[in-house]
Amino acid sequence: MGATAAVMRGTPAHELERAATPLLSIEDLWVAIPRYKLESQQVLRRIDLEMAPGEVLGLVGESGSGKTMLARSIMRLIPASGWIERGRIRFGGQDLAALNEEELRKLRGRDIAMIISNPRGELDPLQTVGQQIGNILRYHMRMDRTAIRARVLDLLRQVSIPDPERRLNAYPHELSGGMAQRVVMAIALACSPKFIISDDATSGLDVTVQAQVLELMRKLVVERGTSLLFITRDIGITAHFCDRVAVIYAGEIVELAARDEFFENPQHPYTLLLLAAFSHNERLRRYWLGEDETRKEMGPSPTGCPFANRCVRVQPRCRSEHPSLRELASRHFVRCHFPVER
Amino acid sequence: MALLAYIGRRLLFVGPQLVGILLVSFFLVKLIPGDPAVLMLGPFATPDALARLRTELGLDGTLIEQFLIYLWNVLQGDLGTSWQTTLPVTIDLAQRFPATLELVTLGLLLALLIGIPLGVAGAFFKRGLLRKAADYYGLLAGALPDFWLALVLIFVFYTMLGIAPAPLGRIDFAILPPEPVTGALLIDSLIAGNWAAFWNAAGHLVLPVVTLGLINAGPILKMTQSTMERMLEADFSRYAEMCGLPRHVVLRKALRNSLPSIVTIVSVLYGFLIGGAVLVEIVFSWGGAGQYAVQGVLNADLNPVLGFVLYSAVLSLVIYLIVDLIYFAIDPRTR
Repeated sequence: MGATAAVMRGTPAHELERAATPLLSIEDLWVAIPRYKLESQQVLRRIDLEMAPGEVLGLVGESGSGKTMLARSIMRLIPASGWIERGRIRFGGQDLAALNEEELRKLRGRDIAMIISNPRGELDPLQTVGQQIGNILRYHMRMDRTAIRARVLDLLRQVSIPDPERRLNAYPHELSGGMAQRVVMAIALACSPKFIISDDATSGLDVTVQAQVLELMRKLVVERGTSLLFITRDIGITAHFCDRVAVIYAGEIVELAARDEFFENPQHPYTLLLLAAFSHNERLRRYWLGEDETRKEMGPSPTGCPFANRCVRVQPRCRSEHPSLRELASRHFVRCHFPVER
Repeated sequence: MALLAYIGRRLLFVGPQLVGILLVSFFLVKLIPGDPAVLMLGPFATPDALARLRTELGLDGTLIEQFLIYLWNVLQGDLGTSWQTTLPVTIDLAQRFPATLELVTLGLLLALLIGIPLGVAGAFFKRGLLRKAADYYGLLAGALPDFWLALVLIFVFYTMLGIAPAPLGRIDFAILPPEPVTGALLIDSLIAGNWAAFWNAAGHLVLPVVTLGLINAGPILKMTQSTMERMLEADFSRYAEMCGLPRHVVLRKALRNSLPSIVTIVSVLYGFLIGGAVLVEIVFSWGGAGQYAVQGVLNADLNPVLGFVLYSAVLSLVIYLIVDLIYFAIDPRTR
């Protein structure tokens, strides 16, 4: 993993640190969703996150860990009638809680764009590709018809869609998965947003197509200096083009570090579990993943460290005391009482 | 041109479908007890006269023979005569079918005007007064019998307030109806430029149309509301919200995606109301096709019944064809 990590570079991490104001800053965010006849459930806890302009942050977690919740909380479109219990999200220095619904709407799609997975299901089946990209331009940028057409063609070319003139009139069901993914990227890029969230965007694609789409996404983001929050279940992908990597487990960020540091010196047991899953080293795999399937069934532990039930290195303290996010090395944060030492 | 081929293929099946419908309804109608000969000649007829009349009416052969003769006549455009009106069924229906169509079409249009906006609003505002009103209205419209509502409307607007015309047909006896072209009084009087007839016919239409509209808005409202709710929660609506499209655009997308279901329920209602409006027709002495068919059933007058079945079957098939064409127009996935 460490070897792959050294291959590609976006913006060097030390330059990012110098950036004065973060583009996005999340402070102590708690999000809850209601449960039928039960107490509401906190699906995000103690989220602290900052993103600099132009930074690419990979957010890794398994399904149900709160990745999508976090993405949608930033958008203020929390699924399952969830709500923000506490904490603050600032975007471009502005507190998002202070905005009314109409101001938020104008922000969505224009300043903060979302790239989603399963794009064929998310595009309107009754509108052509051209109309759907055009809609964004029409309602956010107030462009006129001819300008929209030119811009849509331009966008389709930028996301490397062959024969854009013809694709303009195609309906979503006529597109392949990779093409639909590119259309969604074109929609996200339409208003040149400052911040893009990619929510598990490439998970439904064939591996070869996935590689193409990822490469394209990286190119477009780096070229424009857009910030990207890249949410994925696949920790391997983050090694390719993220400046920093965060791991989220059961609604909490458990490890956060610059990419090279993250892959060379991973310290949280969950991170090691994820990495071991990709490893060729049989002994390593047996140690970290041995009985994970059975331990996973126990779910997050209610008190103490949420990972305690699944952790192979669990100690009595882990079950009683909740670990805080500690900065162990420079800008390397780990939420564990007993981080893994090299 | 795929479209023309499709229509052609559909039309190919119309013939066999109609024969099948006629076959079933012929035998069903024959199951109804009652001898037209006895009814026609009255209680003092001699057995001789009855037998002669039965031979004349073609009632002495086997059922299969009778059906084949009927079918042969139908193929030549002869639907037989009604012994009650003593007129050919084709002439009777030419008067009555348009009367029913005019009533049902306008009634459904009104139902759409009520049902769709209320349904959309109910789906959009999930809580609040409007949603409550829509829910209660749907319940009420489903529970009220149409003939009862018709009687109440007549009592209020004719008997008490005196602003509606008497429920005695489609136009006042004192007014000369326009030359029949389409059979629909509104259209015919417009063609003839006869404004007196137009306004009079329109006045007569108000109460029965309002009755049908209010009652049938119920199912349209329910269908619109549930489909719209589903569409507003669908992935594409959520995505449209994430893209920051204005509310009204999201709503319009959802409505467009709901249209196929709404078109379906309207087409089903239309086919049903051709016969199903009969109670309203009777209350308003409309002289429509449903009323004609029911009179036929009650008096063992079979030709009107079969003629009505045939006409409604053709109309239903046409409606379903049109509906499929509308699907084509709305939804690119069906093309």
